[in-house]
Amino acid sequence: MTSLEDKFEESKKLGLQIAKESEDDRLMTLSVGPQHPGSGHFRFIIKVDGDYIVYCDPDPGYVHRGEEKMCEYRNVIQNIPHLERPVIHDSNNITYSYSLAVEELVGIEVPRRAQYIRALASELNRQVYTLYWLAIYGIFLGHSTMFMWPTGDRELLIDLLEVLTGARVTHAYNIPGGVRNDMPDGFKERCLRQVRYLQKRFKEYEDIFYNMPLFRQRTEGVAVLSKEDAIKLGVTGSVVRASGIPYDIRKAEPYDIYNEIDFKVQYMKTGDCFARSYVPFLDMKESCHIIEQLLDKMPQSGEVRAKLQPNPKGPPGEAYRRVESGRGALGYYVVSDGTPKPYRVKISVGSFRNMLALPYLLVGQKMGDMPATYWSLNYWPVEADR
Amino acid sequence: MASYPQNFRFGEFVGSLIWLIFWVLIIVALVGLPLIFIVLFYVPLPPVGDQVLTPYLFLTSILYPQSAIPVIKTLMGTDLFRVAMFPGFTYAALIAAVTIFIERKFLAKMQLRVGPLYAGKIEGILQLIADGLKLISKEIIVPSGADKLMFWAAPIAFVSTAAAVVALIPAAPGYVVADVDVGLLAVFAILGFFPLIALLFSWASNSKYPFIGGLRALHQMIAFEIPFILSALSVVILSGTLNLTGIVDSQLQSYWFIFFLPISAFVFYISSLAELERIPFDLPEAESEIVAGWLTETSGMIYGLLQLGSYVKTYALAALFVILFLGGWAGPMVFPAEIHTPIVNISPIYDQEAANGSLWFTLKTFGVIMLMLLPRGISPRIRMDILLHTGWYKLIVLAFINIFVALALIYGGILGPGGLLVR
Amino acid sequence: MSANKDEPKKPDTSLLPTPAAKPPATATKATTGTQPAKKEQEAPPFEKGLVEEIKKKFGESIKVVFIKPLRTKIMVEPKDIVAIATFLRDNMGFDHAESVAGTDYPKDGQIEVIYHLGSYTREDLAAHVLALTTRTNRDDALLPTLINVYKSVEYHERETFEMLGVYFEGHPRNDRFLLPEDWADIPPLRKDFRIKGR
Repeated sequence: MTSLEDKFEESKKLGLQIAKESEDDRLMTLSVGPQHPGSGHFRFIIKVDGDYIVYCDPDPGYVHRGEEKMCEYRNVIQNIPHLERPVIHDSNNITYSYSLAVEELVGIEVPRRAQYIRALASELNRQVYTLYWLAIYGIFLGHSTMFMWPTGDRELLIDLLEVLTGARVTHAYNIPGGVRNDMPDGFKERCLRQVRYLQKRFKEYEDIFYNMPLFRQRTEGVAVLSKEDAIKLGVTGSVVRASGIPYDIRKAEPYDIYNEIDFKVQYMKTGDCFARSYVPFLDMKESCHIIEQLLDKMPQSGEVRAKLQPNPKGPPGEAYRRVESGRGALGYYVVSDGTPKPYRVKISVGSFRNMLALPYLLVGQKMGDMPATYWSLNYWPVEADR
Repeated sequence: MASYPQNFRFGEFVGSLIWLIFWVLIIVALVGLPLIFIVLFYVPLPPVGDQVLTPYLFLTSILYPQSAIPVIKTLMGTDLFRVAMFPGFTYAALIAAVTIFIERKFLAKMQLRVGPLYAGKIEGILQLIADGLKLISKEIIVPSGADKLMFWAAPIAFVSTAAAVVALIPAAPGYVVADVDVGLLAVFAILGFFPLIALLFSWASNSKYPFIGGLRALHQMIAFEIPFILSALSVVILSGTLNLTGIVDSQLQSYWFIFFLPISAFVFYISSLAELERIPFDLPEAESEIVAGWLTETSGMIYGLLQLGSYVKTYALAALFVILFLGGWAGPMVFPAEIHTPIVNISPIYDQEAANGSLWFTLKTFGVIMLMLLPRGISPRIRMDILLHTGWYKLIVLAFINIFVALALIYGGILGPGGLLVR
Repeated sequence: MSANKDEPKKPDTSLLPTPAAKPPATATKATTGTQPAKKEQEAPPFEKGLVEEIKKKFGESIKVVFIKPLRTKIMVEPKDIVAIATFLRDNMGFDHAESVAGTDYPKDGQIEVIYHLGSYTREDLAAHVLALTTRTNRDDALLPTLINVYKSVEYHERETFEMLGVYFEGHPRNDRFLLPEDWADIPPLRKDFRIKGR
């Protein structure tokens, strides 16, 4: 059992000079990002001693838009399209918990069919996000085929979501009170066809990527986040599940109709890069089963949207609701003062919480493990900045 | 908002074009044409057979192409032809160009894409020309604080070093630029320049990521140089010569060495991948770790030259693999002994052996190049410590195994002078 | 689920607003129906038990703002917060902070900082979120940091500092995080910061 402080001690045993404050001639400071192919809209400053990273300081904020401040100027419905901007690849999930929180505040009953459609859109979107994430994980490890295959297969799901919601990535589909519109005819068959195809492709992904000996060599036993550290750092989503904690909001606190769905929480116990890269993939596989069940159990007809006033407003109060997004728990803390506009909206995103693990995992690693570690944290820079 | 000047007049634009054409015509008429006449009349041209090549004879070849054949035959005998055309640079650069195109299409098919499609009507075959034009037209940015001389010299040195390797490769019987006795040793000596150029260029860039990339290139190439040479050493033991033409000849007399030395061939293949900085050994250019490695500060044609150099190097190492293990230009004869062509009789310059040899050599080389392109589609990048471990521990041991095999074959009387399997 | 709750904007002279016991009239409205065991009027027993446990230890320094199914909000004085957080972590199993949010209440002259605490270790607490709240003055916003109790609040507190100007005493880095490097305005999530044109 290694605590976080011990990590620094371990690195010292390697003969490394751990840089905390002072500069040293032996160390080279590198700014990884924001103009770096391996960073995204994000920067972390690292210091390297030879090939070893001895210091890491994340510096987000390059795409900070002030979503929380913007929310205070619009009413609860107007907030939907701009709130999904931080994660356009996962836009159904980031608006999902907002809708839940607003429904709790205003007091709206969501029709049953709408709950199913919401969950369906959310699961499809989780797959879209995870495929994109997986593609980038592939190219971060120099595996260009693994970049192209998920990106190509993601297009099919995007087309599917376009049929459902009318937009390719920014859906604005979840609204307080249900979903914007009903499923089109023949959607169920098309959706099942795509899911079957994906399940076939997942086997090929395993063959070319996860079972590749070079990939195993690069990820197994690298950047291990122990269970105790994971709890202490409060990481979430696939990162915490890779460290041996089977915590999934869908199971822990089932929202909407998730308590009627039969699925397993996917987790691994090693806590290394391989586990962190494999758990989202397992999630995606499980998500296929969830989609099949959702399509099966869905009421065939009914309302998909509760009737709302033009400016929905509830009594003063506050709500904190969470959903399991592609990157982990995504919570909204909404405070209402009785007016149609929210008084305060706080978005607690998985990326922001997982970013905390980055310095602890990177210190003591080799530089070649940097992209594998960084992207295994299931981190989406734009979401963390909000 | 920098598209066109505010006071744009179409008439002025057309006028400027006409002026441009006018000046080009003036320069051609006053400088170009006199220059051609001076060359034709005053420079002594080489004798062709029994005739002296006069300007008259030269110009008649426009109307009577048959008279140009002796001129071409003479030119083909010169060193200049060998250096510039067939086994030399043009051939290598053409193969490099085809390699780039094949790589893109081949990789695209593996990744369920279409690859280049639009430039050129058929499957984007002109994509390379488009890319080249783009690279030429781009600005070359020299970083502030860079060592300018080194920065400009390195790309040229890279290409010329790659071309120097090509000069030692025989592509057909008798077709080699420099037929030296220590050919194989010279190849390795010249290959040793590449890490130096990479390191100097990365240092001259005055930037951190290129410097890390340069150091990585140095580590990697040194780690793989030794198994590289050791794997070729077993071939030398079998053939008894360092001359590359001699190595091919000894394979023509017995069998291809890949049947005797498969492990050496494997080690040579892996080491040449590392030498070429191709995936999975593209650590010096690992873009998610160190931007583009030692190529980070390159732009425009500097990048183009370095790419050209690396693909020429790919050809050189693939050709070396063919010569060492796949019997060089050995192959069944497919060309007829005599050739009759309708309009122009090219039989004076037709050489059955050379045509057949270069065909088989080119085909085998492309086969090996395809093998070298394959890992890019199926493999992730390796890590530095695994790479060094592979180079220093595993490959050297493997190479030694086949050295002992080769020695056993020689002393067992199976190969070598008067061996059992020598025809 | 518009259950019993405190009126956040209620002008209140004391540091801690009194918890409202009365259910609002709108509570009769239909609810989402997502929570399996939900009661409208009285607090659910499990959550009540949790609060009782905390109250047993700290007594009157805890003000219970609301108890809803799976959600509990307690408000404490700034001077007690470290001790209470330590108790929550060690004895109650709330082992990580999910988010730290600050809310500006200019009418009260106060800023409320709310820690949403969750649990990975206790199975029965997995769905539960405990909101630990404290309030500080708007003018010289100063709070003790919880970084020594919950490592996970490090970036959240840093964000709260730059967004609301709450200085966390003992936090190693009360400095810029998400905002531009040349930000030279009041903290943007305060209510007197207005977006241009709005």
